[in-house]
Amino acid sequence: METGVGAHPGQGDPGARPERGSVHERRERLSKLVPKIGPVTFARERLLPVDPALEALFPDAGLIRGSVVGCQGPTALAVALALVAGASAAGSWLGVVGVPALGLRAASEVGVALDRLVMVAEPARDLGEESWANVISALIDGFDLVVMRADVRAGTARRLQARLQARGAVLVLIGDPGPFACDIALTCRRGEWEGLGQGSGRLERRRLMVTAQGRRLARERGVDVWLPGATGRIEPIGPDEQSSGADVAAMLRRTG
Amino acid sequence: MARRAVSAPPHSGPVGPPRLVVVQCPDWSVVAAGAAPSEPAAVLHANRVVARTPAAAAAGVRQGHRRREAQRICPDLRIIDHDPARDGREFEAAVRSVASMVPRMETTEPGMFTFTAKGPARYFGGEHAMALRVGELIAESVPVLDAWMLGIGIGDGRFTAGVAARDSARHSARRADQQPTIIDPGIDATRAYLAPLSVATLRDVGGLSAELVDLLQRLGLRTLGGLAALPAPDVLARFGAPGAFAHRIAGGGDDRPPGSATAPPDLLVARTFDDPVRMLDPLVFTAKQLAQELHELLAANGRVCTRLAILAETEQDERSEHLWYRPSGLSASAIVERVRWQLDGWIRQPGGLSGGVVMLRLTPDEVCADDGSQLGFWGGRTEADEWAVRAVSRVAGLVGEQQVLVPVWRGGRLPGDTYQWVSIDRVELGTDHPTGVAAAAADRLQVDDVPWSGQLPAPSPSTVLVEALPAEVLGATGEMVRVNGRGLLSDVPDTVSVDGGAVQLITAWAGPWPLDERWWDAATHRRLARFQLTTERGTACLAVVENQQWWITAIY
Repeated sequence: METGVGAHPGQGDPGARPERGSVHERRERLSKLVPKIGPVTFARERLLPVDPALEALFPDAGLIRGSVVGCQGPTALAVALALVAGASAAGSWLGVVGVPALGLRAASEVGVALDRLVMVAEPARDLGEESWANVISALIDGFDLVVMRADVRAGTARRLQARLQARGAVLVLIGDPGPFACDIALTCRRGEWEGLGQGSGRLERRRLMVTAQGRRLARERGVDVWLPGATGRIEPIGPDEQSSGADVAAMLRRTG
Repeated sequence: MARRAVSAPPHSGPVGPPRLVVVQCPDWSVVAAGAAPSEPAAVLHANRVVARTPAAAAAGVRQGHRRREAQRICPDLRIIDHDPARDGREFEAAVRSVASMVPRMETTEPGMFTFTAKGPARYFGGEHAMALRVGELIAESVPVLDAWMLGIGIGDGRFTAGVAARDSARHSARRADQQPTIIDPGIDATRAYLAPLSVATLRDVGGLSAELVDLLQRLGLRTLGGLAALPAPDVLARFGAPGAFAHRIAGGGDDRPPGSATAPPDLLVARTFDDPVRMLDPLVFTAKQLAQELHELLAANGRVCTRLAILAETEQDERSEHLWYRPSGLSASAIVERVRWQLDGWIRQPGGLSGGVVMLRLTPDEVCADDGSQLGFWGGRTEADEWAVRAVSRVAGLVGEQQVLVPVWRGGRLPGDTYQWVSIDRVELGTDHPTGVAAAAADRLQVDDVPWSGQLPAPSPSTVLVEALPAEVLGATGEMVRVNGRGLLSDVPDTVSVDGGAVQLITAWAGPWPLDERWWDAATHRRLARFQLTTERGTACLAVVENQQWWITAIY
């Protein structure tokens, strides 16, 4: 290290620079910079991983902590499970609020860690709006991922969203997002099943188109995936299986 | 029933187990719900029958039946939702009626309590007379309860008395006449009574793990007598501490959980209120703080409370004091639940309280070494686990333990059977132990090594309907598609209409995959055929045909 920290080019005699000083002084000068450069964390660095097949839908290739993701459409539950599977497998806890019909075997096949899954049953909803909001807040406090339906009042939704940002959890909404402002809104279309014939075969895999819209997405993005794939996991559609744009457009027209 | 001199054999310790009375109402939940014995009614939890009235029992409804099975067996069955808070609240009246004549009775759960036989037996002139009197007292305090719906067992030690109570409940229900089961005192009589019983009793009454019982059975030790006949050191060497405990109670020995001790007398937590409190909620809120405090005090010493006294006092000197017992230890949330049960029933008693509550005190009576596992070398428990566990106890405090569910592996051939949601008060969540969560989760999600043949392969349906929807599947001729006994279809499925909805064309289908489950048991036998269907709207679903009726059970 010939040039010191504060060296300016073209300052005359390089041997006589006053700011060079001892190691101790230089350390002193550096330590003043530490608080300025230390704790800055960009939102995109606080990410929860998603499955590679879905990364293309998100501007930062992952779920940003504190964000709300809406899943709408007939396959919303399946997509929501695939969405949280990556983070769940990586160690995050998943709280589900009032979705008793959640298929646990499908969840485990898609990669959700069932040992870190807890559900609050629907009858608890009868406690009234205030207690219900407390229940969801408590889940947001302790869980990285919360999956629920958006059946709360606007005031509650605002409160929950503020809580979400403070705690860095991700809220995944199934169905109409209602009073929530979604950072990313996914539309999950019906998709087409393969493997089932007329009295033969069995459901093997489903080709599904998921599109995303959001404040940070300049234009709509879409991915074509196998959900569920042959093993139940989500799988990207390989380039050789990729259909042309016209095919996708035709499929979208058909399946709405 | 003549009393004999009790001489304690050397291996049962210096003092033999105390003589206890266990009173049990196996179907307490329906009684608490106010269902009359003559009305067929059942309480369901997680879609399974947990309690039923004698009328429903006579029709063949059993604990563990699914809603649909139960309704098929008994079509006019009234279904009541499970509500542990109601069970606890209503049980308070029964406890109060007996507490007036019996000192120091301890409640294990709503529907079951235990007390020492010695004093009351002398007072009422013998154990048999006392048991009948206790039955009458309870039956008088609960309007819809008949004394013969109770099981009253008297024996040496909690385990023997518990087994006797279970016996008594069965006999009494069969003859519709209260018949207490009384085991003669003394180790020999106890042993002779226990010897022919199945080792499964250790699991059902003794609270030992199902794995241990399963292992014993597979090794050919089918009766308690067989187990008790083995030399104690060999049992300890082969099965460890739980095995030694099982061996001890199978032989009628001391049945206190291993490592239990009387709590130090200065260990208690209490709160006095400057303003008397008349509402339940603030009391429960305070109880939460107290329970947490107590739990931390005990945990610092590596202990957990197994018997706890909850005392509340009003400004008018009215008192409610109960002992609560749980052999596996009372967690903070379990303590709060019990405070809620006790105080809810007390505050709502006929006539009500004359004043507000000014003092609430929790005193551990018996503590037990907390045998939670050690921290793992690698990672063990992460910060995320720490936070999540805290959130789970918080939510359980807000909505009640029975509303917080976790998945449990059950195994089965239908999508809803493989994993099931179970409330956290039914499973060992391990939240009280530092590393218990992961171990407990691994335990409840342990998958059988042998695959279930006949299960449909992956992918599985992402939506499993809680209540199957009735459907109409018609063939091209417009006739309903039927499946005959050989698994042959009457027609090719053409259209489907779900729950009276619009008729949709079936675009593809496969099946029938027949399923004949539990044919050895007439009550739970199911015979059905499964189909996969996709409709013109692109929905794929799993349909079953049972008794010539189509149901949609899951959506892919």
